[in-house]
Amino acid sequence: MKGKLKFILPLLVIVSLISWLVFAGVKDSMVYYITVDELLEDVPDIYGQKVRVSGTVVHGSIKNELDDSLRFTIEAGEGKLDVEYDGIIPDIFTDGVEAVVEGKFSADNVFEADLLLAKCPTKYESEEAPYQRKKG
Amino acid sequence: MSDLGSIAILLSFFITIYSLVACAVAARTGRRAFAQSGGNGIVSVAFLLLVAVCCLVYELVTLDFSLRYVALNTSTDLPVIYRVTALWAGQAGSLLLWSFVLSLYAAFVVFRSRKKGGDPYVNAVLCAVSLFFLFLIAYVEDPFEKLGVAVGEGRGLNPILQNGYMAIHPITLYVGYVGITVPFAFGIAALLSGRLGDEWIRNCRKYALFSWMFLSAGLLLGARWAYLELGWGGYWAWDPVENAAFMPWLAGTAFLHSVMIQERKAMLKKWNMILLIITFFLSIFGTFITRSGIVSSVHSFARSDIGPLFLGFMVFILIFSFALLVYRSKDLESEERFDSVLSRESAFLFNNLLFLAAAFSVFLGTIFPVLSEAFTGKKILVGPPYFNAVGVPIGLVLILLMGIGPLISWKKASTANLKRNFVFPAAVFVVVFLALLAFGLREPVALLSFALCGFVAATVFLEYFRGIKVRSGRGENLVSAFFNLISRNRRRYGGYIVHLGVVLLVAGITASSLFVTQKEVVLEKGDSFSLGRYDLVFRGVRFISNDAKDGFSAELSIENNGKSVAIMYPEKNIYKYEGNREINQETEVALRSTFRDDLYLILSEVGGGGKVNVRALLNPMVNWIWAGGFVIVFGAIVTMWPERRRKKEVGRDE
Repeated sequence: MKGKLKFILPLLVIVSLISWLVFAGVKDSMVYYITVDELLEDVPDIYGQKVRVSGTVVHGSIKNELDDSLRFTIEAGEGKLDVEYDGIIPDIFTDGVEAVVEGKFSADNVFEADLLLAKCPTKYESEEAPYQRKKG
Repeated sequence: MSDLGSIAILLSFFITIYSLVACAVAARTGRRAFAQSGGNGIVSVAFLLLVAVCCLVYELVTLDFSLRYVALNTSTDLPVIYRVTALWAGQAGSLLLWSFVLSLYAAFVVFRSRKKGGDPYVNAVLCAVSLFFLFLIAYVEDPFEKLGVAVGEGRGLNPILQNGYMAIHPITLYVGYVGITVPFAFGIAALLSGRLGDEWIRNCRKYALFSWMFLSAGLLLGARWAYLELGWGGYWAWDPVENAAFMPWLAGTAFLHSVMIQERKAMLKKWNMILLIITFFLSIFGTFITRSGIVSSVHSFARSDIGPLFLGFMVFILIFSFALLVYRSKDLESEERFDSVLSRESAFLFNNLLFLAAAFSVFLGTIFPVLSEAFTGKKILVGPPYFNAVGVPIGLVLILLMGIGPLISWKKASTANLKRNFVFPAAVFVVVFLALLAFGLREPVALLSFALCGFVAATVFLEYFRGIKVRSGRGENLVSAFFNLISRNRRRYGGYIVHLGVVLLVAGITASSLFVTQKEVVLEKGDSFSLGRYDLVFRGVRFISNDAKDGFSAELSIENNGKSVAIMYPEKNIYKYEGNREINQETEVALRSTFRDDLYLILSEVGGGGKVNVRALLNPMVNWIWAGGFVIVFGAIVTMWPERRRKKEVGRDE
């Protein structure tokens, strides 16, 4: 039995170390993934919290000046959210796409994003009018 | 052509059912005629699916917009090469390709074992897996489905997917993903038949290595594509779709290592089986993630009917395989046991444990949003910080083990063994560490990582050096000693080459993820700025226009110590195509690559009066990653290369 114990001990140490890494990693990096209307419901508790928010880019809302941050508005349900972002803009980011931003919302009602992802509605298959399946 | 394709798929489906039954009968009764017939069925399915693939490619190239798949994935302005690669741009085509690649593997397995009459158990498992995918393309996602009304123009392919790497990366990954089915089939066949010696391991080892090599190459090609095309300066984002391919790679790497223990020491038999089942499960899971859209991702694929079917299939695989494993567990007892923690066996064991832990933590991070939504009703994401926090420590220990494993002795390492083997590598570790410290490197992770890379490289060097010394002592000259050394023991020395590739890769990843210099500047004509050792002068922006696109191209001349070294043109393009595709913008980065660093320029914005916004990044040692990839693939090929039939020399321990 002593032979086995020699192995079980280090294994146990490794397993608990990794569990701790996973646990701490999750705790430090977790962000809630919500939509714009859910975010606005949580005001003011949400101020200053890091969250990831998704919504559709409002048509005509994108303002991108050379010397300034990118500004745009996303909406979901009833809610609208003004976003400010500095960083790389994905190619597929444009009016009407679903944007995902990560950052913090503050009392001045602007969402400071440090990450911007755009989901392309047509990159892969969707059931759009011209491509309706024959059956059903 | 599309009718021919449909018929070929339906026929394949029914023939596969027949082959499955025939192989099962052959397995139960031992009647060779049935085994033979089942094998013939498998081979014919490969031909039929080849016909189906050719039909679909033909329809894609000739733009038959009465087919849904063609209309969704091509357009009249698409170059022919991307019409062909549209075969794997969408769901139905990808599934057809899956089935086709699997049928090729299956036919190859049948062909290889034809002299021995074939192994009906292996063939039956291969048929069962094929059947699932054939069912999907025959009845759920038909690639030859017709549209109610033909459309005049197709939707086309997103411009960022029109890239050579994107064209070959998915198929490379597929060859890897699908290939894992073969070792899985051998393992399950061994469990079914009760022939649990190490014969099945020896038979499936090369298939496992082959698909591992393709997975590795596919992962790197995908990274390379992201780096060149997505224009954010990085190559890996822990996106669910990337993780999907990374998980089976991790589990597969563990399997490739632990089979050596089983072959040599007849230990870890159950463990190997478990690893194999997990690897196969993860490869199906990976296909599921990429294809079902269950985890939201920038590669967002639409939800479709196949999600629940995949889920059912995965649950079935797990229950069936583990039930079988429990049923046979008595026959899978180890014949030897572990003697000491300081031994090669335990180095392998820890290596396995860590690879599996890494796979598990990536798995957890990937499905965390789904889990948290199921349990708390709220969607919670864990991002790159989670994966880095968990992955970096595990990765560093794995590199350490990569150095220790090959040198430590079996059974129980003596102090003499440790001293003999580890003094030189440990010295290299210390020297690299101190040298970098002296050069002003203060990042602890980087110091450790580079020093460990030195350590592993030293162990590989030491092994080669010793082997060559022994041979040249017998009168061979150095060059022939080197080649003979490898060719007489390909697995061992090929494996070391792979390790060396991993060292390059790790060094590249370490440098390029920790030491990026970046600047975002607004420039007018004639403005200059400096980045690292380079000075960049903006020479103006040009409007370019051709049949396919309009765009802006900024000209920057790059100087190093006052000497002009390059002129670079980052571009921003708008594709002219005005079909149903909504994405027409494409940012084309300009890249100047050396082994020291990559100068990576992005034209973010073009304003009035010729003003531009440019983001410039200096990414050190990115080329080491790709170079590492080449070395890994080369090493894997060396390892797999057939041994010439001649008397094997008696070597030291393998």
